[in-house]
Amino acid sequence: MSDIKNPFESLQNYFDELLPSEESVFVAKPTSYVPEKVIQKPSVRTPPVTRVAATKSAAKSKALYAEPDAIKKEQLQKLLHSAQPKIVVAPVVKVAIAPPVIAAPKATFVADPNEIQEWVIETAEPVVETQLAVEAITTTENFTQHYQIPGLEWMPNGLPQWAQSRFDVLLFKVSGLTLAVPLISLGQIQPLTDDLTPLFGQADWFMGLQPTPQGKIRTVNTAKFVMPERYDENFVKNAKYVVSINGVPWGLAVDSVNQPISLMPDEVKWRTDRSKRPWLAGTVKEHMCALLDIPRIGQILIDADKNAMKTHV
Amino acid sequence: MANDVVKNKSTDDPVLQWVTFRLDGETYGINVMQVQEVLRYTEIAPVPGAPSYVLGIINLRGNVVTVIDTRHRFNLPSGDITDNTRIVIIETERHVIGILVDSVAEVVYLRQSEIEMAPNVGNEESAKFIQGVCHKNNELLILIELNKLLTSEEWNELEDV
Repeated sequence: MSDIKNPFESLQNYFDELLPSEESVFVAKPTSYVPEKVIQKPSVRTPPVTRVAATKSAAKSKALYAEPDAIKKEQLQKLLHSAQPKIVVAPVVKVAIAPPVIAAPKATFVADPNEIQEWVIETAEPVVETQLAVEAITTTENFTQHYQIPGLEWMPNGLPQWAQSRFDVLLFKVSGLTLAVPLISLGQIQPLTDDLTPLFGQADWFMGLQPTPQGKIRTVNTAKFVMPERYDENFVKNAKYVVSINGVPWGLAVDSVNQPISLMPDEVKWRTDRSKRPWLAGTVKEHMCALLDIPRIGQILIDADKNAMKTHV
Repeated sequence: MANDVVKNKSTDDPVLQWVTFRLDGETYGINVMQVQEVLRYTEIAPVPGAPSYVLGIINLRGNVVTVIDTRHRFNLPSGDITDNTRIVIIETERHVIGILVDSVAEVVYLRQSEIEMAPNVGNEESAKFIQGVCHKNNELLILIELNKLLTSEEWNELEDV
């Protein structure tokens, strides 16, 4: 137990890897922030120039996401996964969903003295095998594209698979509202750029396709999707990032990404009746923010896509 | 479609040619073999009682060609006519029609494997026009299936325009 570190400190290590020479913190972008460079593109949105790292000196501040900094991007992706596999097309196979693990590579934390078990955080490697293709499909074989979303099930104890023990969540802001999502269910964080391409005839919560080095992310207008009753049109302009969902080619657009936190299951007020708003898992008590059931959102998006089961173009 | 398919070494991954055009800030592609010609914008004579997606008719070397309002068809906002506006004459299995576009770009060569399925999460009928998407030359091409541009009933309707 002596080598188990404080959970907050261990999570902070993720971000320290991003900016070894700076204090690397995901902070909410000030609303008065003005991009340094604006490229106007009709019909979509002004692209962000992102400065999210809190640094001691303004001169040291660097754009983390908007500029194609290969080193910084690589470090950013380490935040969520130690390795983002290249997802390839695979035939239909029945794959058992991996048991829930805390996706925190190299991190351990101090167990509560009152706890009777040691917790070892492992990389969620088994999940890799369940991720399926979003890349182009050849026409040579007639097979169906399936998506296996890890962590979809809720257990008899009333908790989701990903929250059976201590779990990490990422906090982000959508139209001023703080939302929490389980870290294990996330894929990558990418900037929303000028290349975000809308498609006609889609639902109003569909923002478009965001090209990334890892493929195109189908970007959801999170504000419209989860809280249409208080939707602010400015969200489209303010959204800076898309947080992809593990296992599916979809992602949620967000204003800003905050620091991840570690939670115990009893720190969440879990919903018992999820017939309405099935994507809402519960409320984080301390932060009084909504906790999203990201695997469920992924499933909803897959079910909404009439082309999800098509073999090829 | 034989002539538009350039057989490369792998016959399982043919290269297809697409004519690209711009519409409301986005780039779309259509099968080159269905493109008969591209005309500069010319006066389109409206037809009373025609469907809302029909702009009117033009005289093309003695033939009457119906011109479709592509923006309306794609549920895009209306646009202005500029010097770059073009009428693309396309030939489907049964009809020859014109589609109005903001501008015509170039012919691109795409491998079948480069074309991805696009999502369809809307209730709009227009979403089914999208055959796929492809990232080319630092932009996303939206590939249109012309045969689905109109339903059978709508194609029949055009004959009465």
